[in-house]
Amino acid sequence: MGAMQWLEATAFSAYLRESLWTYPIIESIHVLGLALFLGFAILLDLRLLGVGMRHVKVSELTERILPWTFVGAGIMVVTGILLFAGDPAKFYGSIFMRIKFLMLGAALLNAWYFHHSSDYLIRLPNWDGSMATPTRAKVAAVVSIVMWCLIVAMGRWIAYFLPA
Amino acid sequence: MLIELTRWLEHSALGQGIHNSSWLFPFIEVFHLIAIGILGGAVLLIDFRLFGWGLKRHSASELSRDVQPVLNIGLVTLIVSGFLLYASEGAKMYFNSAFRFKMLCLLLAVVYTFTWHRRIAGRSEDPEAPPNAKLAGALSLLLWLCVGLGGRAIGFI
Repeated sequence: MGAMQWLEATAFSAYLRESLWTYPIIESIHVLGLALFLGFAILLDLRLLGVGMRHVKVSELTERILPWTFVGAGIMVVTGILLFAGDPAKFYGSIFMRIKFLMLGAALLNAWYFHHSSDYLIRLPNWDGSMATPTRAKVAAVVSIVMWCLIVAMGRWIAYFLPA
Repeated sequence: MLIELTRWLEHSALGQGIHNSSWLFPFIEVFHLIAIGILGGAVLLIDFRLFGWGLKRHSASELSRDVQPVLNIGLVTLIVSGFLLYASEGAKMYFNSAFRFKMLCLLLAVVYTFTWHRRIAGRSEDPEAPPNAKLAGALSLLLWLCVGLGGRAIGFI
């Protein structure tokens, strides 16, 4: 908790907090990053579920679209840290912020687990172009969609229900 | 005319219900945000392809056919959730210049997406980008960006 008070006392944090335009501009970029990150992640999930992007192979999406979701994630992390730095003690104390971080961990673990599963690492060539995707891919996709949508909800509610 | 409709909507059970609830407005906003992601992903995938990025082995027309249902779901969710948000405090938004700018850009973006943009994206079946592709993609990104920035600015004006 001492670290949060230290951060809050820095001139940088005060600048973010008191700026007229900087903070809303960072918020806007955070939401634009959402379109890139969440949008492309959902397209990949729909393909893994076998319900969308039927003419595109799974490997094409993971090779050519996944790098863009990393760009989106990078934008979200950098702008997210800046937003946090504007009012660190309050955000640190927010229950929704804490739930959001737990869910971020779970969502990343889910993605990591699927990308290191034998269905993806070894057997992908068998189902790469098919809409009949393995159960493990479908489960990973549903977990991914649910988790990222809940993370959006937690993020929105942080600003509504800040501790006094 | 529009302002009377807006006032009527705000005083309807729907508008009052959302307005008087402590959690409905932020709850609907979440759907609005998720829809930004869904629509944004679909729009970006097509526009990136028009720029020559991303899924280059597929033509822009094939990709836009694949992604059209996703785009439609995102747009409908955005409009429905946006309408509900408007219902709860429309009279305030009606006179907000950022809101008016946003609605103008939204109208242009929707008309453009379903006409010229769609024609350019659909013109070529071969993987080479059609002529004017980059211009069509840039205009699409610009219009949707204005919608988003206008939306963010509503709360600050």
